[in-house]
Amino acid sequence: MLELKDIKYSKNGSEIIKGVSMKFEQGKVYCIVGNNGVGKSTIGYLIMGLSDYKPSEGRIYLDGEDITDLGITERARRGISLLWQEPARFEGITVESYLKLNRDIKKEEIERALELVNLEPGKYMRRYVDKKLSGGERKKVELASCILLKPRYLIMDEPDSGIDIMSLDMIVRVINYFKEQGSSVIVITHRKEIALNCGYSYLICAGKVFLEGDSKKIVSYYERTCDSCGHVNYLEEE
Amino acid sequence: MDIVKGYEKEFEQLVEIYEKKTNDRSLRSPGVATIIVSGNKVVGLNSVKGMHIKSKERADGLVMIDVEIEDNTIIPVPVHLCTGFLRKRGEQVLKFNYIIGDNVKVKFKSHCILTKVEKLHHYMESDMYIGKNSFVVYEDEHFHDEGGGVFVETITRMKIDEGSFFSSKFYETKTRVGRINVVMDIELLKNAKANLESKIYGREDDIIDIKEILRLNGENSSGIAKSTVFATDRTKAHVVNEAFGNAPYARGHIECNEIVKGNEVLVSTLPLLKVMDDKAELTHEASVGRINQTQLETLMAKGLTEDEAAEFIVNGLLS
Repeated sequence: MLELKDIKYSKNGSEIIKGVSMKFEQGKVYCIVGNNGVGKSTIGYLIMGLSDYKPSEGRIYLDGEDITDLGITERARRGISLLWQEPARFEGITVESYLKLNRDIKKEEIERALELVNLEPGKYMRRYVDKKLSGGERKKVELASCILLKPRYLIMDEPDSGIDIMSLDMIVRVINYFKEQGSSVIVITHRKEIALNCGYSYLICAGKVFLEGDSKKIVSYYERTCDSCGHVNYLEEE
Repeated sequence: MDIVKGYEKEFEQLVEIYEKKTNDRSLRSPGVATIIVSGNKVVGLNSVKGMHIKSKERADGLVMIDVEIEDNTIIPVPVHLCTGFLRKRGEQVLKFNYIIGDNVKVKFKSHCILTKVEKLHHYMESDMYIGKNSFVVYEDEHFHDEGGGVFVETITRMKIDEGSFFSSKFYETKTRVGRINVVMDIELLKNAKANLESKIYGREDDIIDIKEILRLNGENSSGIAKSTVFATDRTKAHVVNEAFGNAPYARGHIECNEIVKGNEVLVSTLPLLKVMDDKAELTHEASVGRINQTQLETLMAKGLTEDEAAEFIVNGLLS
């Protein structure tokens, strides 16, 4: 189990995350939902342990081990990974070698991962992971990379951003694929279609967990109340 | 292949080193045009139909090589230019003159094998004229001694005539640089295009100087000059990219990326854009700094250490 206990995080003197606690069991799909700017991605970065994202208070546990002070690599090697909202570009690196990443992976596995994200292997294997890929193509390559990593806990930060609306079904299919493989998926989104496919949701408002529970109920509340509310880190002041 | 009598051993040695470094066995093939220079002597020559090679060795040590390619010649396999130095110390001075006709298609593969020297000054000056509607590719790869005693100066002046395309790749990424000074000065006439790329990996106390100049003198001419330097340890690198938009609708882009690792490197870049015609368009990009943090963290989130991630990124940049 991955657990966040009373996590607080500040940047440039202002508190962005104000005491968040969450639990993620393996093999389940979770959603962190909320409007733009409420701190959803920050929670994802704190779990991954990115360099500028160390909690000012609180601890993160993985299967009972305190991983709060571990670096990104150590967390990744324990099975946590991140699908970036806007994945970085790499000059001179082909899709094939990016997906392989110096590991002993069969070509057929790479092809299968590309097919799962609706990319034709014959067309994409030799292309470069650089500026010439469109945002959607780059996102799909990153998704294929996550499939090959077989993480225990995958944080998907806005998996649908930059991807055409026709590919939403593919995103849902890939989320289900991870679940079938025994991975836990933590989807960060504000899109109803994605959130409804998750079992349990955390609704974030102003850096806090405002509501949690069954995704259908949370999404319904979010749609009715939050979508047009405009709360972006103002909750506490009100 | 004409191997000069008495130089068979030097020829063999150079070819062997080349084959080991590249796994390419084409230097011995009779169908491949080849020029092999060892020290101050042309030791092997092979020409193909439509191509004429003349060489002259002067008493002062200068080696002059003239390469002429007739109009309408298509050379289906790359022409190999192999220059090497097998003594421990000395100087190698080479002067190449290329005259490439109209409607020619040719690819040159140049390799500089300077792997067994303690102290060497290798100076190569080239003048190249490319006729109309031709397609020319020039790839230059260097293999230097790991001791750092090699000083390479390569000066290239070119004129690319109407409708022709020229692409150049200069790579010194696999071995120590020592000291290197690369100058490419290119004039482009109407509708001519050029694409210049140089990639150099500096280690220890290497010194790297690159100067690339695009003179866009013809209407609708275009060029890209891109330099990538990875500077580590105590490397000093200075890159100058210049583009001159002297004609209507000329388009030029210059780009320099210098990636540093360590606190003792000293790198700089200087772009210069000069527009003499208000319909010309020039752009530039330049970056100097450590490896992009997001790129590093993207790979670290897949389980690579910071060093493994950096190596992966740099290998891509210098590939």
